Amino acid sequence: MRLVRTSALWAAVAAAVGVFVLLGYFVDFDFIQNIRLLFMRWAALLAAAALLVGLTNLVQVHWRKLSQTEEGWIYSALLILAFLVTLVLSLIFGPDGDVSLFIFKYFQFPIEAGLMALLSVTLLVAGFRLVTRRRDAFSLLFLATALVVMIGTGPALLGTQGPITVGMSELRNWIAQVWSAGGARGIAIGVALGATTTGLRVLLGADRPYGS
Amino acid sequence: MTAIDLQGLLLLFAFLGLMLGSAAIGRRFPATFRQIAAFEALGKAIERAVEAGERVHLSLGTGSVIGAESAPAFAGLAALTRIARATSMSDRPAVVTAGDGAMAILARDTLRSSYSEAGAADLYDPTSGRLLGPTPFSYVAGLPTVLNNESVSVHMLSGFYGFEAGLAAEFGERARAFVIGGTNEVQSQALIYVTSQNPLLGEEVFASGAYLGAGELHKASLRAQDVIRIAIIVLILVGVIAATFEDLI
Repeated sequence: MRLVRTSALWAAVAAAVGVFVLLGYFVDFDFIQNIRLLFMRWAALLAAAALLVGLTNLVQVHWRKLSQTEEGWIYSALLILAFLVTLVLSLIFGPDGDVSLFIFKYFQFPIEAGLMALLSVTLLVAGFRLVTRRRDAFSLLFLATALVVMIGTGPALLGTQGPITVGMSELRNWIAQVWSAGGARGIAIGVALGATTTGLRVLLGADRPYGS
Repeated sequence: MTAIDLQGLLLLFAFLGLMLGSAAIGRRFPATFRQIAAFEALGKAIERAVEAGERVHLSLGTGSVIGAESAPAFAGLAALTRIARATSMSDRPAVVTAGDGAMAILARDTLRSSYSEAGAADLYDPTSGRLLGPTPFSYVAGLPTVLNNESVSVHMLSGFYGFEAGLAAEFGERARAFVIGGTNEVQSQALIYVTSQNPLLGEEVFASGAYLGAGELHKASLRAQDVIRIAIIVLILVGVIAATFEDLI
């Protein structure tokens, strides 16, 4: 019984906070605006604290893998080592210090850029796989459109003024500005409707992402 | 209060009224939804995972709790309540990963309460809901370890993703898992369409709760969305016709 009461209390608090923040977007009263800003600041602070909790959890997961020498423990060891080194150096020299920026510039940025480059290869392979695995009209249309847009966007192979280059470029613009933009707007409207109902369910306490 | 603010507020109340109204009549007039092959396949894939003693992995994406990008992750958490109940018979609990600390905490809370409600509180493991990496690509870089080393056979993506969506789905395919994914970003949806076996397009990601049986209000939400969508389509058509005739005159 106590558990149910506590659960209802959390739902009521979440709903009340949500209603005030939501009203702040529609109603221009100072009182509501101030409360909204206060809650938003609290949320930002809590999110920062949650990042620390999340990082602790991350280290905890990898420490367990390392201590039990589970499969891939060497990567866990590397992660913990990199985490501790970065943390200590950033605490000593500051997050905007030369050492921290060096780590970002020469370690994190190249690795993330490498993953981005891997994405282009991945998409090419996935495109071939799409043809073999899901050979329906929509998939073929999707790939054909992607091919036309790529050719129309890329550097001209047959001269910049040739009829094929100009034609492909115009076709690409027509697809991007008419079909693609129209379709994207349609999807955006659907997503907005879905996001609204998801938010309202949380406000009503029907969905309780904070547990029950 | 400006006119636009009033319109927004009225639309919100209309939405709320439609949802509650649909929920009230939902039992007497049950809704029939179109079949979404991805959700049907998901149910079977979860059953297979439970029977084989393998894990279900839910990825909540790389978005933050604050802001509109959290919406698909909240839809994923609603689906997680059902997934946790479905996997409560298994000896391997579902694992949830996020690219945001607060989202990882919410995932742990959802897992804890769902297993507790399903009478399998002992299945809850605090490390089952975890932060993989605080930046989009560091999050994706951590995914193969989870997918390959933790016997994951169902890989569900429900959250905000940027370009990393393509890699997030592809890693699941390479781990030979059942991959289903959806997001709110239009460009990322295209990436998921190419890389995943079961893409969720448009707002389908928000329908996961209704299709997995998370409650009457989830079904009512879909009905409300359909009514508002039809109203928007009618308004757009009226606007197009009015603008065309205005030009002609």
